[in-house]
Amino acid sequence: MSKVAPQVGDVLAGPPRSYASIVWGQLRKRPTAMISLGGVVMLALLAIMAPFIAGEVPILWVEHGQASWPIFHYLTDAEYSAMLAFVLAVTLPLTLRFVRPRAEAMGASPWFRSVALHAAVWFVATVAIFALRQPEGRYGFFLERRQEAESAWFPLIAWSHNPGYDELAFRDQVPSWQHPLGTARLGDDVLLRILYGARTAMTIGFVAAGIGSTIGVILGALSGYFGKWVDLVLMRIAEIFMFIPTLVLIIIILAVIPSWVPALWAVVGVIGVTGWTGAYRLMRAELFRIRSEDYMTAARALGVPTRRLLVRHAIPNGLAPILVGAGFGIAGAIGIELTLAFLGLVQTPSWGEMLNDGRQHLEYWWVWASAGAIIFVTMFAYNLLAEAIRDSIDPRLKI
Amino acid sequence: MRAYLLKRLLLMIPTLVGITLVTYGIVRLAPGDPIEAMIRSQTGDINPKVMKENSDRIRQRLGLIEYHYLRDAVDRAWGAEEVQGRGTRVLRGAAVAVDKFYGIFLGYGRWIGHLARGDFGESIKYRTSSGSRNPLHLIVERIPVTATLNVISEIFIFFIAIPVGLAAAQYKGKWVDWGSSFVLLGLWSIPVILAGTVLLGFLGKGGMGWSLFPVAGLHAPDYEKYGFGRYFADLLWHSALPVVCLTYGGLAYLAKLGRASLLENLRADYVRTARAKGLPERRVVYHHALRNSLLPMITTMVLTLPGLIGGSIVVETIFSLPGMGLLYIGAARAYDLSVLMAETLIYGFLVLLFLIIGDILYAWADPRIRYE
Repeated sequence: MSKVAPQVGDVLAGPPRSYASIVWGQLRKRPTAMISLGGVVMLALLAIMAPFIAGEVPILWVEHGQASWPIFHYLTDAEYSAMLAFVLAVTLPLTLRFVRPRAEAMGASPWFRSVALHAAVWFVATVAIFALRQPEGRYGFFLERRQEAESAWFPLIAWSHNPGYDELAFRDQVPSWQHPLGTARLGDDVLLRILYGARTAMTIGFVAAGIGSTIGVILGALSGYFGKWVDLVLMRIAEIFMFIPTLVLIIIILAVIPSWVPALWAVVGVIGVTGWTGAYRLMRAELFRIRSEDYMTAARALGVPTRRLLVRHAIPNGLAPILVGAGFGIAGAIGIELTLAFLGLVQTPSWGEMLNDGRQHLEYWWVWASAGAIIFVTMFAYNLLAEAIRDSIDPRLKI
Repeated sequence: MRAYLLKRLLLMIPTLVGITLVTYGIVRLAPGDPIEAMIRSQTGDINPKVMKENSDRIRQRLGLIEYHYLRDAVDRAWGAEEVQGRGTRVLRGAAVAVDKFYGIFLGYGRWIGHLARGDFGESIKYRTSSGSRNPLHLIVERIPVTATLNVISEIFIFFIAIPVGLAAAQYKGKWVDWGSSFVLLGLWSIPVILAGTVLLGFLGKGGMGWSLFPVAGLHAPDYEKYGFGRYFADLLWHSALPVVCLTYGGLAYLAKLGRASLLENLRADYVRTARAKGLPERRVVYHHALRNSLLPMITTMVLTLPGLIGGSIVVETIFSLPGMGLLYIGAARAYDLSVLMAETLIYGFLVLLFLIIGDILYAWADPRIRYE
């Protein structure tokens, strides 16, 4: 049997690579991308692990010779769900490695399969957590009772907001070992507020920007694909959202939301619902281009139904600019939340609120300096990451 | 061109109607009674009967009447709320909702009707001894503040962004490019609230740093006595910090855009031709490439101007400047419907106007673009 000489094309092409893996390969070559990604992951980790770092519930509690782990009873369902989401996000490359050979043999996208698998696991587990778990709801008075325990292992910053704990005794302290970033006006620990503010910022960043992008992609695809009156109507609706200043729109919408809706949800919802026009305009422009491409004509000629045409062919091909826009959108959404909290319009634990507190008492510089530093680092990391993704996707893309 | 302009101007109408209708609807849907709250804030607790008379009078004046036609019809047919069965209660709820929307549309129609006669209603928040202020007057007397700040900022943005973008593009890949893009992204990442707090803290009077700049207002108390030169210097001194806050974000954006567009032009064929003809590099860059890349920069600036006005909401709040932004946010927080509606209308009109001006400029600067 004679050996077939390798063709030039084979050597150059190598195994077929998916779009996502090409972008990821590009991204890994950029040190700024890796550093900012590391920063974002670190911040997410700190936000999720906040109760272990600062709080009132001990990790280990030994009383009458019996050891218990109170923190695991006190964590809320949402916190468990977020932790799981984090673990699944970090382990995605591992799954990818397992899925890749099989998926590539079948000609499917390993990225899509891994993400779908993890999303499914997360969804099922979250439903199970919310349905089956019963978190401890009452206040444990652990800090007040710490003398009763034979041994207690509190978070790094043992701190409480609850009644019965004399916070005011600790007000306006300079940074020390006990309070690494000092304490604020009402005796609350600055690092603790930074950690819990990070939770708000991360939730806003991911959920609100996610809601906004999703709405924008769907409406933009409909608008761009169908054109005519669909486009006319949707564009007018988008204009309404574009031409009322976001802050004003958010203020008047917040007033309509009933008071039983938790503050964080209200803010996330409002920022998501008002922040879809950017993604909408990008997707609409992409779809105008895509719908007359040859592959779309071919698919239409084959009789592919419209829904499948949109979901499997048109939208995936127009997603690249959206991804970049969403990266910048995360920083934008966080910025809006900070501004709302800074102006005292929403009552969520937020860095913006800290900045406002610090502004009124500049002499306690550690308050506003800490808040300012974490705000800048977060925004910078997201923008740096978005820019790196943009350059990896297409250096000529201008957003 | 004239037909195109006319069409664009006419198309503004549905958008403006949409913007104002949505604003009106959302504010009317909010629970609570801003008018009674306003009366209480000015007179303290008063006799309920007087309160009702006063609030009814103001409601009548503002066109805020609640309608209860359908609800009353349901009550008449099936008896009072307490004796109604579950099915009737659902019907009654639906009737209340329909009444609400009917009231909103009628109220909006009334607002339009008043507007057509040049009547913007009256403010419930801003009152003098002689009565409520006219929203239009409130806005007109605040336009100069916002306009001054934004014009100064735009000038700074433009004349700093061009050299920065130029330098970055010319030295692409060198440290000038890297450094400037890093610094610009850093500026882009600073929220205005952070910049304002830090600037006020370090440079504002009464802060913890150097007391260099005033912290509120746009003029010294006795500015009316100043001559022109001193007046202008005073204005610049007062507006320095707010202008910095309004400038750096747009500057970062525009400089990045300038770099990208200059790079694109430097790669273009006509630049290669110019170089091949032996033109000096200076002339190639400044005369050929820069001129062409100014085009998108100018249009982008016009397009970002409305965003800048939106940004002045925060800046005016931080620096307590009595401009349109502060009025807007104050009206939104107090449900001062007339002022809010007037602001929304005027703001929306300005935004749409700038969009049209941007398109016209684009066609004027680039003869290849024609609007029919």
